[in-house]
Amino acid sequence: MLTYIARRLLLLPVVLFGVSIFIFGVMSFLSPYELVSTYIKSPEELKNQSLDALVEKYGLNDPWHLRYIRWLGNVLHGNLGYSESANMYVLDAIKQRFPASLELALFAVVPVVFGGIWLGVVSAVHHNRLLDHATRIFAIIGWSLPSFVAGILALMFFYGYLGWFPPGRLSAWAHEIIASGGFRQYTGMNTIDAILNWNWPIFWDAVRHLVAPTITLAWLWWAFILRITRSSMLDVLNKDYVTTARAKGLPERLVINRHAKRNAMIPVTTVAGLMVLGLLGGMAITETVFDYKGIGLLTVQGAQQLDYTLVLGTALFYGVLLVIGNLVVDVLYAIIDPRVRLE
Amino acid sequence: MRFKLYIAVVSALLLLALGVPALAAATDPKTFVFVTFGDVDSLDPAYAYDTASGEVIHQLYDNLVAYEGGSLDKIIPMLATQVPSKANGLISQDGLTVKFPIRKGVKFHNGDVLTPADVEYTFERAMLADPAGGPVWMFFEPLLGVQTLREVIAKAGGPGVDAKDFDAKKLDAKVVQKVYDIIDKTVEVEGDYVVFHLAKPYPAFLQILAKGGSWSSIVNKKWMVENGAWDGKATTWPKWYDQAKEEMTLYQKAMGTGPFRLLTWDRNAGQIILKRFDDYWRGPAKLETVFIKYVEEANTRMLMLQTGEADAAVIQQQYLDQIRNVKGIVVKEHLPYIGNTALLFNYTIPVQGNEDIVGSGKLDGNGVPPDFFADIHVRKAFNYAFDYETYIKEVAMGAGSKPYGPAPAVLPFVNKNRPWYSFDLKKAEEEFKQAFGGELWKKGFKLTILYNTGNEQRKTAAEILEANIESINPKFKIDVQGMQWSTYLSKLRASALPVFFMGWHMDFPDAHNFYMPYMHSAGAFAGYTGQGMVDLAKAKFDALIEQAISTYDNAKRQELYYKLQDLAYEYAVAVFYIEPEEHRVYRDWVKGVVYNPAYSANYDFYTIYKEVR
Repeated sequence: MLTYIARRLLLLPVVLFGVSIFIFGVMSFLSPYELVSTYIKSPEELKNQSLDALVEKYGLNDPWHLRYIRWLGNVLHGNLGYSESANMYVLDAIKQRFPASLELALFAVVPVVFGGIWLGVVSAVHHNRLLDHATRIFAIIGWSLPSFVAGILALMFFYGYLGWFPPGRLSAWAHEIIASGGFRQYTGMNTIDAILNWNWPIFWDAVRHLVAPTITLAWLWWAFILRITRSSMLDVLNKDYVTTARAKGLPERLVINRHAKRNAMIPVTTVAGLMVLGLLGGMAITETVFDYKGIGLLTVQGAQQLDYTLVLGTALFYGVLLVIGNLVVDVLYAIIDPRVRLE
Repeated sequence: MRFKLYIAVVSALLLLALGVPALAAATDPKTFVFVTFGDVDSLDPAYAYDTASGEVIHQLYDNLVAYEGGSLDKIIPMLATQVPSKANGLISQDGLTVKFPIRKGVKFHNGDVLTPADVEYTFERAMLADPAGGPVWMFFEPLLGVQTLREVIAKAGGPGVDAKDFDAKKLDAKVVQKVYDIIDKTVEVEGDYVVFHLAKPYPAFLQILAKGGSWSSIVNKKWMVENGAWDGKATTWPKWYDQAKEEMTLYQKAMGTGPFRLLTWDRNAGQIILKRFDDYWRGPAKLETVFIKYVEEANTRMLMLQTGEADAAVIQQQYLDQIRNVKGIVVKEHLPYIGNTALLFNYTIPVQGNEDIVGSGKLDGNGVPPDFFADIHVRKAFNYAFDYETYIKEVAMGAGSKPYGPAPAVLPFVNKNRPWYSFDLKKAEEEFKQAFGGELWKKGFKLTILYNTGNEQRKTAAEILEANIESINPKFKIDVQGMQWSTYLSKLRASALPVFFMGWHMDFPDAHNFYMPYMHSAGAFAGYTGQGMVDLAKAKFDALIEQAISTYDNAKRQELYYKLQDLAYEYAVAVFYIEPEEHRVYRDWVKGVVYNPAYSANYDFYTIYKEVR
């Protein structure tokens, strides 16, 4: 297994090189005066701007391969460049924004996976009955709903109507405590940092801000897990060993939980692992609606603004994340299902 | 069983979460939360040239002079103890020297005391840094009659303005010294006074320096030098010339004399926290803490205002209906805005490589010739074909008025007896019939009007023209197309757009700031309007614009600007179609709001207080 892991990790630089060349190649079709839109975001900002001076200042008229070599040289020295859209160095932007998204993804994954599995099992057990249809319709509505609609609905209900779960990551008072130096940020994940600081008001405040986006994400993703669990369960429920268990006279609950569900969970685990990666990359809209400043929002804003420094940086980061994430899933799969061996 | 446990855990969590005070900020009379969108570009007054940055800089720094309340014409002392005028002798009779007596005992946020040397350093440092695309041209124009430091370098014997691969760090030592000498002479300390030496009389100079113009915020020399900014020496300035913004000392720091100090600019959380400066020379502000939060989604901002989590929010015009009648929310509408939007013409349209926009490039009914808009009748016809009233009423939802010409009506020297063109399809037809000696009417034309995607108001403006012009003659064809901003920008740079929309928001409240971009051959838009417009401007407009900004004689200025307004009409230089209005939205417990259209900030937090019930 170690050889397998090492081999996969050795592939990482190749993947990253490919990703960066691809993005630079695509960007090479843009003229310097298109790229300068990163610095001038609207007609209103054209006041007395010398576009030529900006193009010259940021070296945008250099051939793309020269810009690539310059960029690569900086990357090898640990500098991913400065992002105009994030207003900070790309590495800092990733370091600061990724923990926020990771925290949301980790919070979301619990209701998504357990809720989805539960719904899938209920659906399979009540195959083709009213509960099955109702469950699937509920989940499919979530899956079909544009995420900004689901997000705005959740925000209006939980925040606008009930006044419970505000947007953002923390309340103003909590930000002030952090800015005043009374709170140390170890991980960038507010809930974990609050525990490490033993600051329970900030912990609960962070949780309060996570609930609405978590519910939104859960509703959006339930159908995904539900369908896999349901088909996997239906498949397992027809197996001989399940029939045997029933024939032995075991209560149905035990048949489902001990014999059927455990085996049905193998494909679900694989998918759930990949889903965490999917969640990390696919939360941009939810992050926008809830003003949750995560890496998804950062990447989308950078791309909209043709901020190629940021796009490259985040693409590399996602590259690393995907390679390592896939590797972890493969390893987990081998551990869960002893029939699979990584050689 | 497990499910019940899960429900129990979730319920407990919700209950506990609800226990935290949700709206602590809103109910605290000393804390103010302002929610807006966009982000600060830089906190350096020498670099910042956008309203989001100006909003913050406004609270952190003071200027030499200020406007009194919401007025534009009454200027009062601030860090200077007197407002210079010819009457009090602080402006010399020839108008070339302007003296400011500097206030004593004013403290910076770190306790340092303001001196005239800080004022001198502020302006010299900005001019020697001159970041590309920044606001420093506003000092160069009155003080040296140029727009950039590159022009000063060229004058001092350095490389020309168009020299390629220019590197200030490689300048000859003599040129470096000479450039410094030129800049140094423009601002000097004389005892308790700071004296500006102007290249020519410049009646808008005080407006450039007044509070509201973030570029004229006075910085702390000693602190700046300690924190890595220019050391004030004659030979070292190239190191700080046109730095990347993130390398500039004040990019994310601040050390001013303003009513608030910067606690943090948390770009990760998208917010700025300001704390009251208790030693402020005008007395401490009533608010203790101000949060400026950047929230992109309009619905989220509205909800934050409705729940009371925000005290004030930026809500765009199209959403105002949703909150106009909500209890507890104040919507102040129809506030003056010193700016306008126009459709500008390109007098010399390139054809090669531009066929998708200009078609055949000939007067044959399948395109437009390069000099299409050089014909005055075409320009007049476009002006008559625009339905101003409908646009303002339906598209701008009543939040605006019809301009009188290039300068907004709120400014002095606008002749309100000289209205701009009105919607009149008959007159448009007459003009089209005269264009190109009648050939245009016979052959027709085909033209594409582009707008930057996402700007729905400009799209509709183009569609209004499309519908009206096509109704005049079936041989007239207009196509309206959206284009990504980046591509639009590159087309503008290549002067490839036959017509284009442009908005101008004042830098300082003076007619000059509008006639210059719209009508001068060296103005901000001259590069996009083609050689034909440049030639016209040189022949007809430039001299008048320069005369009007070179005299303190208001009667003379009025005469010149009235004449320019007539010329703008006579030559139909653009379709000036709206002067938008401003509005402010805040909770009813917010008091002391002072609106001044010359501020780059939405709010001056110094005057604001809360009456929370």
